[in-house]
Amino acid sequence: MADSLTAPKQRFLAPEARLAYLLLLPAVVVLVGFMIYPLVYVVLMSLSTTNRLGWLTHFAGLKNFLAVLGDGNFWRVTGRSLIWTALAVFVKMSLGMVIALLLNVEFPGRKVAHMLFIAPWASSVPISVLLWSWVYTPEFGLLNHTLRMLGLTGNPPVWLGYPISAFIAAIWVDIWIGVPFMALVFLAGMKSIPEDQYESAHIDGVNAVQKFAFITLPGIRHLVLVATLLSALWTFNDFNVIWILTAGGPVDTTDILITSIYKYAFVYLKFDQASVMAVVTFLILTGISAVYAKFYFAGERRS
Amino acid sequence: MRITRGAKRFSWALPLAGLLAVLTMALASCGKPVAKATATFFWAQYDGVTEDYRASLEAAFNKVDPNNQIDIVSVPWDQLHDKLTTALAGGAPPDISIIGTRWLLEFYGEKQLADPTLYVGKDTLADIIPGTKEGVVNGKLMGIPVAAGARFLAINNSLATDVPQTMEDLEKDAIAANKPPDHYGLIMPGKKNTELTDFAYYFYAAGGDFFAKNPDGSFGKSTVNSDAGVQALTFMNKLANVDKVVQPGYLAQTRMEAHPVFYAGKAAYVMIGAWVDSAMKQAGSTFPVTYAQIPGFAGHPSTPLIITDSIAFFSGGKALPTAGKFIDFWYKPEWKGKFDQLAGFPPVTESASSLPAFNTPMYKAMGVAAQHAKGWPLIATWDQCQDAIWDAISKVYLGQATPKAALDAAAAQIDKINNIQ
Amino acid sequence: MSGSVAAWRSRGKPVAVALTVVLLLVMLFPFFVMITTMLRTSQEVYVSPPRWIPHIVTFRNFAIVWSQYQLLGYFKSSLVIGVGSTILNLLLSIPAAYAIARLRFAGRQLFLYLFLVVQMFSPVVVVISLFKTFSKLGLLDTYSGLVIINAVFTMAFSVWLLSGYFRSIPVEIEEAAFIDGATRSQTVIRIILPISAPGLVTTAIYTFISAWNEFLFALSFIQTQSKMPLTLGLYRFVGRWSSQWELLATADFLAIIPVLVLFYVIQQRLVAGLAGGAVKG
Repeated sequence: MADSLTAPKQRFLAPEARLAYLLLLPAVVVLVGFMIYPLVYVVLMSLSTTNRLGWLTHFAGLKNFLAVLGDGNFWRVTGRSLIWTALAVFVKMSLGMVIALLLNVEFPGRKVAHMLFIAPWASSVPISVLLWSWVYTPEFGLLNHTLRMLGLTGNPPVWLGYPISAFIAAIWVDIWIGVPFMALVFLAGMKSIPEDQYESAHIDGVNAVQKFAFITLPGIRHLVLVATLLSALWTFNDFNVIWILTAGGPVDTTDILITSIYKYAFVYLKFDQASVMAVVTFLILTGISAVYAKFYFAGERRS
Repeated sequence: MRITRGAKRFSWALPLAGLLAVLTMALASCGKPVAKATATFFWAQYDGVTEDYRASLEAAFNKVDPNNQIDIVSVPWDQLHDKLTTALAGGAPPDISIIGTRWLLEFYGEKQLADPTLYVGKDTLADIIPGTKEGVVNGKLMGIPVAAGARFLAINNSLATDVPQTMEDLEKDAIAANKPPDHYGLIMPGKKNTELTDFAYYFYAAGGDFFAKNPDGSFGKSTVNSDAGVQALTFMNKLANVDKVVQPGYLAQTRMEAHPVFYAGKAAYVMIGAWVDSAMKQAGSTFPVTYAQIPGFAGHPSTPLIITDSIAFFSGGKALPTAGKFIDFWYKPEWKGKFDQLAGFPPVTESASSLPAFNTPMYKAMGVAAQHAKGWPLIATWDQCQDAIWDAISKVYLGQATPKAALDAAAAQIDKINNIQ
Repeated sequence: MSGSVAAWRSRGKPVAVALTVVLLLVMLFPFFVMITTMLRTSQEVYVSPPRWIPHIVTFRNFAIVWSQYQLLGYFKSSLVIGVGSTILNLLLSIPAAYAIARLRFAGRQLFLYLFLVVQMFSPVVVVISLFKTFSKLGLLDTYSGLVIINAVFTMAFSVWLLSGYFRSIPVEIEEAAFIDGATRSQTVIRIILPISAPGLVTTAIYTFISAWNEFLFALSFIQTQSKMPLTLGLYRFVGRWSSQWELLATADFLAIIPVLVLFYVIQQRLVAGLAGGAVKG
């Protein structure tokens, strides 16, 4: 381990570093090779005037940025995106954790339950959302019918018809799709925690909550960070759920950045403004990732 | 310290395999032989037009001449515009595609269209009914009509029999037929959707137009906030929130969710299009229906909405002559007539019009409607304009604004979109 | 596995089972709707008030989607794309993740971040430029193109997850192997990968499911009917004016089953793998 403390310059050419770069090469070549042009082009579009097919016509400097950032609606949409992401990721993480803990207990039918919990994730997202729109349908949908039958509420709302209920209905679908991934990752982490750690804790008379706090959680800490970070990036950019359920409505009360981007790009064919929003999204997500990375690598130095 | 001689060997194994895999796949996909001309056709998935039909049409054409082949690629209607935009922007468009006629404007503006009359045979062009040729840009036919249908009124006769002559009559009839929660007077989709159809029914019925026309024929200021616009929106809001004759939950329903309430026999009146017949069969509807005209408001003539779809030829296509031959093949009555029947549209060709299948009350109502119907304004920014109008409608439904205030705001927004002072 | 920790587990077990059942009922609600929808005739789809159990239960919809709509072809395309993406993803991610987890070099964190950047741009934003790239490379309308792009978009998760897994394996195990004369590649293949089985399986499942369900790229890049994957095939039942819910539900049900079966089978193997990996700890 001692050589890892040597100066970076020396490390750069060390055989170990050379091997590392060689191992990274294929992944990086494919990643950069395919993504560099699309990503640079988004930035170029944001700095140019584009035609209705997104081709650059002339350089516009920061004009598009000023136009977008000066629009009050843009900030409302951005704020809604952040709320959407924070709420959805928090619930996905909590629910995913509960499910993973449950599936980590031995009981008959556990494997089948595990398989069934994966189901929401096993279906294509646009199709799942369509199915949900069928579930939410006021006249023929089974959700409100069931709520009435169970006596939970005599007069369930028309979910997608009003601003707040539409937001709740949409975010629930996003959560529903995202929970299985969380549960799967957390469970995989729990499985790799050596059983003997629990056993010795058991001998020491530690209770379940303490076990979770002092063994399970630290053991899957990295995974929780990775999974929530990625989930945050995906949730922020989750376009299908809102677009298919509400198209951002009623009025624009469920419009978030990604649906706005889509609308500007493919409906209004204003690719320059859409790109500005995409660049802003990138900056926001970079910020979130930087905060996460701090936690992630902080843990690493300690260990 | 942890590096060993084995590292070299390992370093060749996995990463190289990965790179090789990518390379092989890239190579394998290159160098496809292009001996014969194959035209690509983006085919919108119309309700009722079966996969069998698409496949057999493709097979039948491809059997005729091995050097002229067609690949009919079915695309969901809601994704067609996206897929087409991506393909055009990416420089690899299909040869031909079904489009909503108003899309012609944006593709024409970017010089993406080819002149279809250069590729489609004279006989085929002569067979097309003149009234359906809406796809005209700058006096030239740029889109071959594929489907054209005026909207009309359908009445569930087990709930109501009166044929309203004015919108005011329709309101009275709807109130009379309304018995919630058993059944409702009138269907009204109230959720933002890709098309603004329901507002257009009432707006045109009040004699409205979306834009003022400049002397040179181009579109000027938005007139959606005209008296006609306010009358239409006030009326719609009254039906929904004062008379309460529309199906509950209308705010959460597009036509896709709202119309089934009619199919289920739970509504007396609906303004709808040609698909109603096949949709009712599918849903097993048993009630008797009469078809009538969408009325005008008192003092205004009936002015229904007509929607046409076209086939566009793209200048970036690789096999346009083949595509033209395909259209000639497809537009023969035995194929096109079958398509029209399945999709439920009245024929766009003279030769198919005489088929007995089109001699029904519904097609007769559509024929009458077509004579004084109006289409969408052919303006390239229409999608953004209609979004502003949708927001105005939703605000009024939610009680957040009066019809006048909401439409004034929408009109101002539309003028800004079109750069008009 | 059990035994020593059985004490709290036997107390907690009934609670766990009850909670699992409740959560399953909530999470599977749309699937109950799917199943009751796919078992009815088109005449009984639009009934109000809705019925949980249709008056006529029919399996006819399976025959319709299978024969009239040729679902098998779509399945094959999806399988090629799913399996291809998973293999390519693992081939690229395992070495990269190993380097990041085990080797010391400048720019380690930068590389990790680089993998994330792709996730910050939604496919919606880059689809047109990607289309151009693919068109130039001749990857348009090919399975290879979709395999590559799915591998690219799933790489962030694979690299992050696997590097985390590799790092959690005690260095001593590896060093012991070196001392025994094993090469690094032997160590990785015989020791690191087996211990990381849960992580590898998770990665593989994630990639496969992502590729199997990917919609936008398939929609944009595939221009031949016969190459369309299942996600596009399912959209055959969504029309312009109405959806055929009973057929959509049936086809979606059929699309989910292979994924769940695959998952179940892999899960069985995973348990076996875990039992074999006694090295951990």
